Amino acid sequence: MSTTVEVPVANPVVPARRTRFLANLWKVLRRKPSRMVGAFIVALFVALGIIGPWLYPENLPKSADLLAGPSLSHLLGTDFEGADVLAELIVGSRYVLTAAAVAALVTVVVGVAVGLYAGYRRGRPDSALMRITDFVLTIPGFPLLLVLTTVWKFESALQMGLVLGLTGWGGLARSVRSQTLSLRERGFVEAARGLGLSTPHVVTRELLPNIAPYVAMNLLIGVTTFIYSQVGLFYLGVLPYNSTNWGVMIQLAVNNGVTQTGAGLSYLMAPLIAILLLTLGVVLLVDAMDEVFNPRLRED
Amino acid sequence: MSGDIEGVGIVKTYKARGDVLAGQTVHALRGVDFRIPAGGAASFIGESGCGKTTLGRILAGLETYDSGRLSVDGVDLSGLRPKKREPYFRRIQMIHQDPYSALNPTRTVDAILTDPLTLRAKQTGRPKSWIAERQREVLSLVGLEPDYVLPRYPHQLSGGMRQRVVIARALTVDPDALVADEAVSMIDVSLRLGILKLLRELRETVGVSVLFITHDVATARYIGADGELYVIYRGEIVEHGPTETVIADPVHPYTQCLLSAIPVLHGLERPGPDRLTPTEPLADSQSDDGCLFAARCPFATDRCRTERPQLGHEGGTEQEHSCFHPARRHVVAVSA
Amino acid sequence: MTAATEPSTVDGASTGPGVRISDLTVAYRTPAGELPAVSGINLELAPGSITGLVGESGSGKSTMALAMLNAVQQPGRITGGVIEIDGLGDVLSLSPKQIRAARGGSIGYVFQAAQNSLNPLKTVGKQLLDLGRSHGVEDKRALVRQAKELLSRMGLSGERVLDSYQHELSGGMRQRVGIMLALVLNAHVLVLDEPTTALDMISQANILSIIKDVHAEHGLTTLVVTHDIGVVAEVADRVAVMYGGRLVEQGPTVDVLRAPSHPYTRGLITAIPRLTGDPDVAQPLPGRPPTLGTIPRQGCVFRERCAVYAAGAREDCETVDPPAYDIGAERLVACHVVEEER
Repeated sequence: MSTTVEVPVANPVVPARRTRFLANLWKVLRRKPSRMVGAFIVALFVALGIIGPWLYPENLPKSADLLAGPSLSHLLGTDFEGADVLAELIVGSRYVLTAAAVAALVTVVVGVAVGLYAGYRRGRPDSALMRITDFVLTIPGFPLLLVLTTVWKFESALQMGLVLGLTGWGGLARSVRSQTLSLRERGFVEAARGLGLSTPHVVTRELLPNIAPYVAMNLLIGVTTFIYSQVGLFYLGVLPYNSTNWGVMIQLAVNNGVTQTGAGLSYLMAPLIAILLLTLGVVLLVDAMDEVFNPRLRED
Repeated sequence: MSGDIEGVGIVKTYKARGDVLAGQTVHALRGVDFRIPAGGAASFIGESGCGKTTLGRILAGLETYDSGRLSVDGVDLSGLRPKKREPYFRRIQMIHQDPYSALNPTRTVDAILTDPLTLRAKQTGRPKSWIAERQREVLSLVGLEPDYVLPRYPHQLSGGMRQRVVIARALTVDPDALVADEAVSMIDVSLRLGILKLLRELRETVGVSVLFITHDVATARYIGADGELYVIYRGEIVEHGPTETVIADPVHPYTQCLLSAIPVLHGLERPGPDRLTPTEPLADSQSDDGCLFAARCPFATDRCRTERPQLGHEGGTEQEHSCFHPARRHVVAVSA
Repeated sequence: MTAATEPSTVDGASTGPGVRISDLTVAYRTPAGELPAVSGINLELAPGSITGLVGESGSGKSTMALAMLNAVQQPGRITGGVIEIDGLGDVLSLSPKQIRAARGGSIGYVFQAAQNSLNPLKTVGKQLLDLGRSHGVEDKRALVRQAKELLSRMGLSGERVLDSYQHELSGGMRQRVGIMLALVLNAHVLVLDEPTTALDMISQANILSIIKDVHAEHGLTTLVVTHDIGVVAEVADRVAVMYGGRLVEQGPTVDVLRAPSHPYTRGLITAIPRLTGDPDVAQPLPGRPPTLGTIPRQGCVFRERCAVYAAGAREDCETVDPPAYDIGAERLVACHVVEEER
């Protein structure tokens, strides 16, 4: 057989192996300092959420110094009862972060599954699922949560996350569906069907990797938006204060006159800045997602 | 080697979308007959929108047809349940026009070839070790260096190499036929002929038949000079015969227009003396009465505008054609 | 500014301006440093001629076409050279205001895939008026009249086309609209980037004959950039062949096709399947075209695919970038072997 072999003319690129996801992530993160900063911030909060509550006793010791400013003994000052704000911030991170992570996870799992299935199958399943999606989209999340709090006390972060997630997947499902609709017309999806590969294969091996960066970004950004909606709920005071968390801190700070008197400003600012910092970390990290999942962008 | 593919009276219509023609019926194929013998070559040529792409997609099982009979090895697929039909369509593999979108950008060539081979191994009860062996085999068949391409992602390969990977992937299921729809139009000119040559050689080395769909008659000739050429116009075959006959002695004015449109390499060639251009461009408004080409034909008569000609050998031609006034014209460029 | 106030310049007497490109170099910033996509190009477009610029992907032909408008996009940069157009001066040293006026004004440009370069949300007529406004045309009626005249010359109904949106036009029609928009402000130099890609043969033949007609009627100097030697063979008086950012051969089209000198040109022409004769005369070219990063830095850029070099490696092919040798009969070839054997 005399077909010309196309020999590469220059020194070939180092063969890309099936490098593991974490190795890719690390490589992509190192490319820009901002990403490393983002990753560090996010990792810090995750660590706080996991080990935080073990660092301090259940009932924080109270000092006599109420609403004090930052000092050596209380790095972020004290609250209206004289408890250390830094300790509260750390202890309180678990509820907020867990609930947000669960909500984001639920959103992504449900949204991606519904979007992929509807977009790939088209026809009747698509119409049915999209009607449900429209319904979910029209549920006003915040008022619904207000109503739900009358019957449900959201003592566990899991419950909170579940409710937030189950009301929040509509938008993601819609956009995953439209991406799937355009992907399924691409040659490689048609080829996979033509080769007799199964539907689960086509969906998980051909379609999913191509929407992965989008899904990962939604997961990350979802965490921050769900933090805001929780904090909003607590701030409104509709939920009981039976657990320490950032929203409760803000609410109590305002109720105890911090905004009027200015005393204990650090008590108010600490949770706000924590939220901002986490958001910043996520935004810096999101920038890397495209490159992690796209082999073309991953290259140097 | 089995694998005769035959179509009789294939019809396909669409409901048009968009504002101008919304709701109107578009006739993509109006009863097309063809036959591709095992290991043979057939080319379908015509303008964009003539239905040739639809035909290829129907053959590859990517689209359905309204009526007609499509058979593989004499088995009529129209009567089979989808589950029974699928294995037949798997024997006809599509080579897409765009090798950039035909390969999943997130997967390596290794993964792209492993999946269909794993399925194949399972179906035929072959051991796992066969997969890697076969992978190297199909890559060598298409002229690629396995060690070079296997670990790479599609974007790390040139257009020509990508199209070879697409062909290798199609070969993993041991197809009877390859449907190549404009398979080289998106590939660099210096690499095109290599792909065409490969398709031609695969007919001999693996006995696969090639159905070549293109607007470029010269490439069709290169792949299947010994095969059949079908000229499609607005969903109908207007001229059909042995490739060399139709190119050397076209009698339908539409075929003559197509051949006239091929650029003349001035210096190497002189234009044919009877070079022909359609009197009008193709338009949706053109009539369905009489000969479909009448509105654009320089030689149309009243009969052409009212009566629909049928495929036949009128005028004693070797090829079939559907023209009331067949005439030999020298439209092809002559070597200078 | 040439406004559309006067009736069309179709008087048959005028010929287009001459264009002289000398020592043009365009480099792209990449992680591996600044790499030249076009290096040291010397090309003259004779007044009133059609020149075909042929090359594969990565040959630098599109970059070169953009340079004609001084419109090379970041991360590309014109690092040197002169593009002198009669009556306009050096395009590369015009002020930003002057160059904006020249683009779409005296230099008409039809983009690659012009089929898709129209705004899908605006009618063709609206886009025509936008073009007029951006070039300070006062007399809108004359502009529309001129556009309709051009369209009808290309076999389209001006009335209908100006009222149409992009999706209501076929590929060939959009291409003609692109040509109309390039010429409506009385351009003298016309640059067409891949004017027939994605068109079928009949539409291609139609567009090519339109290009020839408007070229003659408007007295233009035209540059057709394409990957397809057939297109050049049909329309161009002269052909220039690019490879790896260099101009490897140029000369009168008929002569170059009949007796190509550079091994690359020869290979390209041999690789075209033909309608007559033995199909096996056509032979593929080995290897693949270089990308920006893989263009050899030293010596001849084509040597890795060159049949002559393969037959007997020569040292100067590896070390010395061949200059454009004048081989007579208005032909230039950048090949050491051709020069030596002459």
